[in-house]
Amino acid sequence: MEIEKFYYDNKIVKYFAYATILWGVVGMLVGLIAALQLVIPSLSFDFSMTTFGRIRPLHTNAAIFAFVGNAIFMGVYHSLQRLSKARMFSDTLSMIHFWGWQAIIVAAALTLLLGYTSGKEYAELEWPIDIAITIIWVVFGWNMFETILKRRTSHIYVAIWFYIATFVTVAVLHIVNSLAVPVGFMKSYSLFAGVQDALVQWWYGHNAVAFFLTTPYLGLMYYYLPKAANRPIYSYKLSIIHFWALIFLYIWAGPHHLLYSSLPDWTQALGVTFSVMLIAPSWGGMLNGLLTLRGAWDKVREDPVLKFLVVAVTAYGLATFEGPMLSLKSVNALAHFTDWIIGHVHIGALGWNGFMTFGIIYWLIPKIFKTELFSKKLANIHFWLGTLGILIYAIPLYWGGVTQALMWKEFTPEGFLKYPNFLETVTQIIPMYHARAFGGALYLIGAIIMVYNVIKTVKAGSFVANEAVEAPARVQVESKRQKGEGYHRWLERKPIQFMAWALVAILIGGAVEVVPTYLIKSNIPTIESVKPYTPLELQGRDIYIREGCYVCHSQWVRPFRSETERYGEYSKAGEFVYDHPFQWGSRRTGPDLARIGVVTERNYKPDSWHYNHMADPQSVSPQSIMPAYPWLISNKLDNKTLTRKIEVMQYFGVPYPEGYGDNQALIDLEVQANKIANNLKNGGIETTSDKEIIALIAYLQRLGTDIYKK
Amino acid sequence: MEENKDLKIEKDELTGDELLAGHEYDGIKELNNALPKWWLWLFYLTIVFSAVYLLRYHVLKTADLQDAEYAKEMAAAAKNIQANKPATDGTALLTDPANLAAGKVVYDKLCAVCHLAEGQGLVGPNLTDEYWIHGGSMEDIVEIIVKGNPSKGMISWEKQLKPLEIQQVASYIYEMEGTNPPNPKAPEGQIYKRD
Repeated sequence: MEIEKFYYDNKIVKYFAYATILWGVVGMLVGLIAALQLVIPSLSFDFSMTTFGRIRPLHTNAAIFAFVGNAIFMGVYHSLQRLSKARMFSDTLSMIHFWGWQAIIVAAALTLLLGYTSGKEYAELEWPIDIAITIIWVVFGWNMFETILKRRTSHIYVAIWFYIATFVTVAVLHIVNSLAVPVGFMKSYSLFAGVQDALVQWWYGHNAVAFFLTTPYLGLMYYYLPKAANRPIYSYKLSIIHFWALIFLYIWAGPHHLLYSSLPDWTQALGVTFSVMLIAPSWGGMLNGLLTLRGAWDKVREDPVLKFLVVAVTAYGLATFEGPMLSLKSVNALAHFTDWIIGHVHIGALGWNGFMTFGIIYWLIPKIFKTELFSKKLANIHFWLGTLGILIYAIPLYWGGVTQALMWKEFTPEGFLKYPNFLETVTQIIPMYHARAFGGALYLIGAIIMVYNVIKTVKAGSFVANEAVEAPARVQVESKRQKGEGYHRWLERKPIQFMAWALVAILIGGAVEVVPTYLIKSNIPTIESVKPYTPLELQGRDIYIREGCYVCHSQWVRPFRSETERYGEYSKAGEFVYDHPFQWGSRRTGPDLARIGVVTERNYKPDSWHYNHMADPQSVSPQSIMPAYPWLISNKLDNKTLTRKIEVMQYFGVPYPEGYGDNQALIDLEVQANKIANNLKNGGIETTSDKEIIALIAYLQRLGTDIYKK
Repeated sequence: MEENKDLKIEKDELTGDELLAGHEYDGIKELNNALPKWWLWLFYLTIVFSAVYLLRYHVLKTADLQDAEYAKEMAAAAKNIQANKPATDGTALLTDPANLAAGKVVYDKLCAVCHLAEGQGLVGPNLTDEYWIHGGSMEDIVEIIVKGNPSKGMISWEKQLKPLEIQQVASYIYEMEGTNPPNPKAPEGQIYKRD
């Protein structure tokens, strides 16, 4: 057998590792700032770019796509070469991928802070960046696939199955959820509206968790855990079953984010059941990881790398049990919209993704620098700070989440809400926010200690940019299944077929849920009195989106007495048919706004109240934790793209009269704006009708009112 | 397994489990262990749960979908509230300091937003002059608080205030007449002469 000599490319691994560390610290730091803003609202600095509504999306995007994203690429570029016994297909593609991804991150950070957002959680980036992501993702997939195809090994290992599933699924999710029509260079409207948009968004959102935070990391686990422990994988059979079950079932689970919404009941039921069925496939990964350590647990006590990996896998097991439980309607009714969910996702993000990444970095950096880790002791300190940080972060949020939910739901015997003032339920959990910020700070300090440890390790070592390897060429086997060769074993030497089957597996669930909701009319019963937004309201809505109001305010009243009593009639599917994009939100840091414009409901506020409240919330509600929006008071409303906006809406089928955008829209806008400015004047507020605040007030006063009109 | 025939079955030395021949990737081997039994049963159990769930909600319809669940919750609450309804003497003017102080608390929290702290009027009318849009007797004031005038922005407070609280705040407002605060809103409605 001919032995071939070749080199692994470690340079690209180093690059992605450094990017992981850099963006990890940045992402966590921004998270800490966001956590502190919830306790000290003045930390929003009365400045648009630093308000919570823009900081929070920056944090989530940085943590998911910059930190975890780079970590995925670090691990894939490192492990794939070794599992394939081949150098990456193209150094050029690797570099395009690396620099392209970093450029996207920088563009994302800047545009999010500037208020360019599509208003869909975890998919906030606007269309030019979405296109760039698609291109870079294809570069990654191309590079990866060519490497797999030119591999010297006969079969592809389970880690690579997960990489393949990740690549195809993320491509599908990203493209479908980002479908939008541009109205300007950095502004677009989602192709989908209301309920359909919500369904597509959470099909995407949940599977971003599944296929960006989970499957690639399971792939990494399957390489780094057995490598670090030097143990064989517990069960190949379990790998097969849990891999296919996981990717097939996961894609259906999205609707559990929309329980008790106006999403059709049958779709919600699929979300519940498929989430419950996910327990075993998820735990399959955890078991195959933990049982691989049988006979090596003594090493776990010694080796900080294994400690990180073990806690990561355990956190994965916890989060994937908790997730299905949260998908049960009764639990969801309590937990949804509360900090319980924030606690839950951080068990995943800090425990599973964070600790797995740290473990890999501690293992990999010394390897590619041909040295030992500078300090095991510091790594151990990092481990304990991180573990404590996770606990101090998550437990108070669970506590606060349940406390707040119970307060929202409590009635007095006479039938009044026990805590009619939403703010009371916020001030109650402020101590929990302090604790959470402290836990997050501990976690960040741990990460900074890692940075120091890595720098010292790098300085002591000598980098091997091209690692010399020898391996025999791949034995050519007939394409056909051989006698005695299992079907799956055959598939493992057919990466293209493998990818095709993975694609089939993930398309089924999405198709069954999304297509009927889009095509069958009875799923979204229309309501006669629901009319399109006026031009001023549409403009106000875009300000609402720009400022990230959906980050803290939901627009979705659930069919519970405690919610209809507090907010008004529960939300109906037909109310959202002109909402491109939908703005239902997922967390109630502030009260729901679905019915804020309905004068007969308890939360109704006059125009002047909104004006004063936006200018300085604490002047109206002293204990409020909402940031101030003084620029809305002074900024002039930009109507340059109004014509185009109306046209795009008409293209979607929103029934504005023909040619409405040409002239009439602007005339109507000014009439309505003057009316509001007059109202404000009567309320003792001097302003002009051309300000952004006027449009936002118009939008808020419209919210939820249509179905009350007879 | 044909391909295994010629090969001796290799075992993992720490656990004694069977290693799979030919399964080695960058030094990582794989064991030929079966699926853990309890894990498999857990998987079956969740599948059965899901089947029963879908059957109950969407085929046999023996469980309530969310609209029906809501209707039941509201009906149960209505019954409960009826049973707990406090007795009320409604509309008599309360003049003792304790009740007026309680009325002020409610007023400051809920009414001052539109009528201002001293009742001089903002979005809502001036409450300190002798002009009243809906009448200025205690009965009239209680009625407008209970029912509201939604088209003008005055909401119904029936669901947020207990009968006694309504009586207290109405008394507090009743006592405001003639206090002459600075910057009053122009009179609206008709003069109401008290007896």
